Amino acid sequence: MDRRTFLKSGIGFSALTGAKITGVNMLAQYYATANQSGPVPYDLVAIKGGEPDVMFTKGMEALGGLGKYVKKGQKVVVKPNIGWDVGPERAGNTNPKLIEEIVKQCYTAGAKEVVVFDNTCDNWVRSYKNSGIETAVKNAGGKIVPGNTEGYYHPVSVQGAKNLTNAKVHELILESDVFINVPILKSHGSTKLTMSMKNMMGVVWDRREWHKNDLHQCIADFAAYRKPDLNIMDAYYVMKRNGPRGVSEEDVVTMKSLLISSDMVTIDAAGAKLFGIDPADVRYIQIAEEQKVGRAKLDQLNIKRISL
Amino acid sequence: MVTLRTVRITVASISFILITAIFLDITNRIPPAWSSAVVSLQFAPAVIKTISSLGIALAAVIFVSILTLLYGRVYCSQLCPLGTLQDIIIWIRKKKFKHRKFPYHPANYRFLYAVTALSIVSAIFGSAALLDLLEPFSNYGRILSTIVRPPIIIVNNALAIFITSTNSLGIAEIPLFGLDLWNVVLALFFLSVIIGLTVWRGRLFCNLLCPVGGVLSLLSRISLFKITIKHDACIDCGLCERVCRAQCIDSEKNTVDFAACVGCFDCIGSCPTDGMGYTFRRRSEVLQKEDTNRRTVLLSLSSAVLASTGLQNIADTTKTSSGYVDAKKKPVVPPGGRGQEHFESYCTACTLCVTACPTHVLQPSFLEYGFAGILQPKMDYNVSYCNFDCTICGEVCPTGAIQRILQQDKKYVQLGKVTFVKEDCIVEIKKKDCGACSEHCPTKAVKMVPYENKLTIPQIENEYCVGCGACEHACPTTPRKAIYVTPNLVHQTAKKREEKRLEQQAATPQEFPF
Repeated sequence: MDRRTFLKSGIGFSALTGAKITGVNMLAQYYATANQSGPVPYDLVAIKGGEPDVMFTKGMEALGGLGKYVKKGQKVVVKPNIGWDVGPERAGNTNPKLIEEIVKQCYTAGAKEVVVFDNTCDNWVRSYKNSGIETAVKNAGGKIVPGNTEGYYHPVSVQGAKNLTNAKVHELILESDVFINVPILKSHGSTKLTMSMKNMMGVVWDRREWHKNDLHQCIADFAAYRKPDLNIMDAYYVMKRNGPRGVSEEDVVTMKSLLISSDMVTIDAAGAKLFGIDPADVRYIQIAEEQKVGRAKLDQLNIKRISL
Repeated sequence: MVTLRTVRITVASISFILITAIFLDITNRIPPAWSSAVVSLQFAPAVIKTISSLGIALAAVIFVSILTLLYGRVYCSQLCPLGTLQDIIIWIRKKKFKHRKFPYHPANYRFLYAVTALSIVSAIFGSAALLDLLEPFSNYGRILSTIVRPPIIIVNNALAIFITSTNSLGIAEIPLFGLDLWNVVLALFFLSVIIGLTVWRGRLFCNLLCPVGGVLSLLSRISLFKITIKHDACIDCGLCERVCRAQCIDSEKNTVDFAACVGCFDCIGSCPTDGMGYTFRRRSEVLQKEDTNRRTVLLSLSSAVLASTGLQNIADTTKTSSGYVDAKKKPVVPPGGRGQEHFESYCTACTLCVTACPTHVLQPSFLEYGFAGILQPKMDYNVSYCNFDCTICGEVCPTGAIQRILQQDKKYVQLGKVTFVKEDCIVEIKKKDCGACSEHCPTKAVKMVPYENKLTIPQIENEYCVGCGACEHACPTTPRKAIYVTPNLVHQTAKKREEKRLEQQAATPQEFPF
């Protein structure tokens, strides 16, 4: 917990300084690369024009390397979106190339163990396999574990929640030292967009509860429960309509973009803009901001933009 | 030395182990094509598949028929899993009570052939119920899937939870469904009957109740090779009768009733003087002694009826919906099942599809299809929904009740249509967004459209619906689902959604919009 609180204060620091005085920002960046545990220089890094793995590497370089988030001997959980039994070109699941690179770099940073899972919508065996993520994780030396077993989910209470006061959360989220959330940006029939906060629905057991009790409110409620240490939003292939499952490849555009932030509200606001929707029109972003889960006002944040 | 008995035990073991393995493959690691190959020689399913699908199954029927016409009922000892199960029971019994044997007892052919004819005739005229309840492969399948498989799953799940909480070995929990009380009771009852009959009188089931045994028994009467007692070599020791499990050797009269012989070949090895022959003979003496007229009549009746089955049923399924039942009370038939008539006529409820279905949406039923379709599997959308890209049930079905269909065709097979009840929907009741149904819909037949106060509400376009049940399964309303599938009595074809490919040029932003 200490480490997380520390990281958050780091984000705060860089936001306070970096947004206004570029000199201080540059200093912070220098400090960050020089000292592994220094403050994070940017609130958001946006990369475009490269392959998923390259964009990730460039983005993390700007943030001072993955070593700032993953320390030697730590257990890392990586949570992609593997919701559907569709291939990477359908953009229903996080890009497997990106996942492979993340897992690889976690080990390079000294992680003891990197574990990947999702509580899928379609049959998990087929989704893991056909998304290409199972192979990607194994190639990188990581471990992919099933998310279909209720026994792995433990009841927790969500502090400060309006509607979703209780949930059953996967033990990997509860146990791991580092939590890396890797959503994909895509359209969604009822919430307009699914991004990092919505991706958290795959770490709980009962999604129907969320649907029953004001979906937007539940998404925002749970976003405050265990904030990921890092959110990496895949926008290489983007499903522009018929989401979240999509009907065919016709629904997909190649956007070749990637967003990285420690703040789910920030990255979701940026994702919405990238998609072409005003974040103010996505109710769960609004609620999350109101409930002070994170910051959605992008013009007040320190953003690093990288074109490859 | 390789004896006929060794061959029998080897082939029977391989066949039995493979069939058992595919039913108990709880993680579905065995490829469907292998499963299909393993069960392809099962006689009753192959006959039905020949009629339902007119395919390669005919080769299996011909193979088993020729095998029987050459060597007698070796099928019953080597390929039938229920036969091997009985042999295992007999083996255990022998270990326990060494002194007890199965003395000669004339087979009740009148009863056996009556049951066989009745099963076949009733199957042709609409109800496969009797055949389903007696067919040996399907019964063995049901014993495995309803009695043996669940405890294995329970152990697996206990391990999954225990091991993963310490260090994952990749064992995953498997949902335990299908523990329908009546299915368990029926399977237990059948198993008890089999154990009882076997302990009492060896392979009595095969010569009294088994429709496959009945047909093969008729064929074996004219088989080329027959087991006989060589009168010149026989010393009247009675050892052959002592080892016979089919009660078909009368050592007093020195006769072998080959129509009841299941081809275990134990008698040949037991004879101290090489007095048992397994030789080419045109007609056995036994056969001549019996009244052949009745049998000949039955035989010709059965084969005539068998031959006509195909045409009749195929003609039936091409008809459009007969619409005589209240659709909502009928279960949804799996994709490839073509509709209720086709599925009900050909399914013998072996439950192989139930064990192979990756999403577990296929579940055994009891009387949901009515008595005629007793135990036949159904799509249960409370348990799960049909995976859009999956065609496994059709790949493993040994009878062709579920036809093998290509993946691209399956995507347009409409099992049913969806009904949306706005009054039960979360969006209408709570005035909050939900959309679980539309999320899961693979064809967007369920679409979220603008509703009052910036909300979105489901809208149905049934021409795109495939009836997979994803919406129904995902719908969070209780106790009534606000969206549900009503089965098509005859499966129909859904429309392909034609949407233009999105403009790709401007996809990568020139400048970030923030």
